[in-house]
Amino acid sequence: MTTATTHRRARGAATTRTGPVEARRPCPPRRLLGANLPYQLLTFAVFAVAWEAYATVWGGLLLPTFTETVGATFQLLGTAELWQAMYVSNQALVIGFAIAVVIGVPLGIVLGRFRALERFADVYLNILLVTPMAAIIPLLMMSVGFGLASRVILVAVFSIVMVVVNSRTGVRQVDPSLIEMARSFGATERQIWTRILFPGALPAIMTGIRLGVGRAVTGMVLVELLMVSAALGGLILEYRGLFRAPMLYGTIVIIVAEALLLISLARWGEHRLTRWSKATTARSTR
Amino acid sequence: MIEVRGLGKSYIGQDGGVVQALQDVDLTVADNEFLTVLGPSGCGKTTLLKAIAGLIPWNEGDIFIDGSPVRGPGPERSMVFQNFALLPWATVLENVAFGLQMRGVGKTERIERARALIETVGLGEFETKRPGELSGGMQQRVGIARALAVQPSVLLMDEPFGAVDEQTRRLLQEELLSIWEEHRLTVVFITHSMEEAVLLGDRVVLMSARPGRISEIVPVPLTRPRSSDVGALERSGKYVEITAYLWDRLRDMHEERRPAKAGR
Ligand SMILES: Nc1ncnc2c1ncn2[C@@H]1O[C@H](COP(=O)(O)OP(=O)(O)OP(=O)(O)O)[C@@H](O)[C@H]1O
Ligand SMILES: [Mg+2]
Repeated sequence: MTTATTHRRARGAATTRTGPVEARRPCPPRRLLGANLPYQLLTFAVFAVAWEAYATVWGGLLLPTFTETVGATFQLLGTAELWQAMYVSNQALVIGFAIAVVIGVPLGIVLGRFRALERFADVYLNILLVTPMAAIIPLLMMSVGFGLASRVILVAVFSIVMVVVNSRTGVRQVDPSLIEMARSFGATERQIWTRILFPGALPAIMTGIRLGVGRAVTGMVLVELLMVSAALGGLILEYRGLFRAPMLYGTIVIIVAEALLLISLARWGEHRLTRWSKATTARSTR
Repeated sequence: MIEVRGLGKSYIGQDGGVVQALQDVDLTVADNEFLTVLGPSGCGKTTLLKAIAGLIPWNEGDIFIDGSPVRGPGPERSMVFQNFALLPWATVLENVAFGLQMRGVGKTERIERARALIETVGLGEFETKRPGELSGGMQQRVGIARALAVQPSVLLMDEPFGAVDEQTRRLLQEELLSIWEEHRLTVVFITHSMEEAVLLGDRVVLMSARPGRISEIVPVPLTRPRSSDVGALERSGKYVEITAYLWDRLRDMHEERRPAKAGR
């Protein structure tokens, strides 16, 4: 039992110790992929082989083999056309998602702090949550047109719900005695927001941002598919029209890869910013 | 000096009923006095302290600090919380400096003053740790340092040692005594423990419940400074006598309430 104190002293200096190993935070690259990596690689390999076999036997014009798809993906990465499309699509993604965060986070905090507002807001949040968003695309096109604006709006509408709902939950989870403590030291309402509510809600806000990114990418592609534009969705439609299946699949691979990358980035940021909360709250890890 | 005059406070309960938490509370706390408040659970101790802190409104009466009426929290008062109320995302240093930051003290001075108090409470090595990495006793040391950092003349403590283990509690009591002997400030200290009330206080305020009022104020004529030999003090006749008296009175209060409850 005397080891407990020596451990504390020795922390940082010595790295060898006996007994159960303290759970350690893996370094960033490993954390991004997680400890599931071997299993994920395995399932991916099975999937790739099955795809290859199926496409070789039964495939045709509409179903490329795995290797064809990989080839097409690399070929696509070398074209200016793809990067042009990426640029246009991501413009909508970045602006739209930024709007969702800039509006969603304060809105969520306000809803969390003033519960009375709940009655007014709840129904709209639910609408945003459950309505098939594709249904509002024709509406948007009629009112805003085919340009950047309507794509930006759609991305924002798609992703803002996650940000608002999670920020609101985060604020609710903040210990009320911290607010009382801040008030006892003469904190103004503004200081309570910036020093207590925002940092306290940050873990949940980051979760909302991560979930929001996923929805933002969905929104980005969907609107382009339905609106016929020059961007990634446009590429998909074009390759489909030309029956160039490998290129079509390659485009989709690139979109999926981008989404995974963004979500991993968000998760990484979440871990970096909110280490303190690991011990204190158990949150969903969807 | 703290003056509480005819203080009355009622809460609207969740069922819509009115709970008279405090009624006709009159109390004067002298400068540099260490006042302890003792009473059964739910008798309004926290309510009284929060009213003095300016954190809650009340229905009747007045509270004055050095002659001026309490309208809200003020720079001469600071509070120590039972559940510590530390910011889990901030380091020990940031937590201790928090009160200073709220009061607009500049960064360099803030850090300097916070560091000095962290030393006072013996947490020098832990400056960069977060509360989650500290034991309960250490967390409350942070809470005390944070309250002292703003250099209050009145320190309000709501069962500050209620959530720490017995041994740590004794250490903290001794430390609080020596801090108080050195800094000289007015302390209102709420506790459930008769021993703690006697050990620390110049006077013990006994409160009774439903409605919450002051039933008696018991002076504690034990010599000061007490921090140097707490053990001897606890064996002294006077100490034993006063704690026994307090327990008698408290037991009466509990007994008065028991038949009433059983009858319902
Ligand atoms: N916010 C509130 N709303 C309604 N009733 C309350 C509220 N706060 C306290 N009360 C009631 O007021 C009475 C006094 O409460 P208070 O917390 O001041 O007691 P206490 O002496 O501090 O109790 P304890 O020793 O358990 O901490 C209790 O009956 C309690 O139920
Ligand atoms: Mg209480």
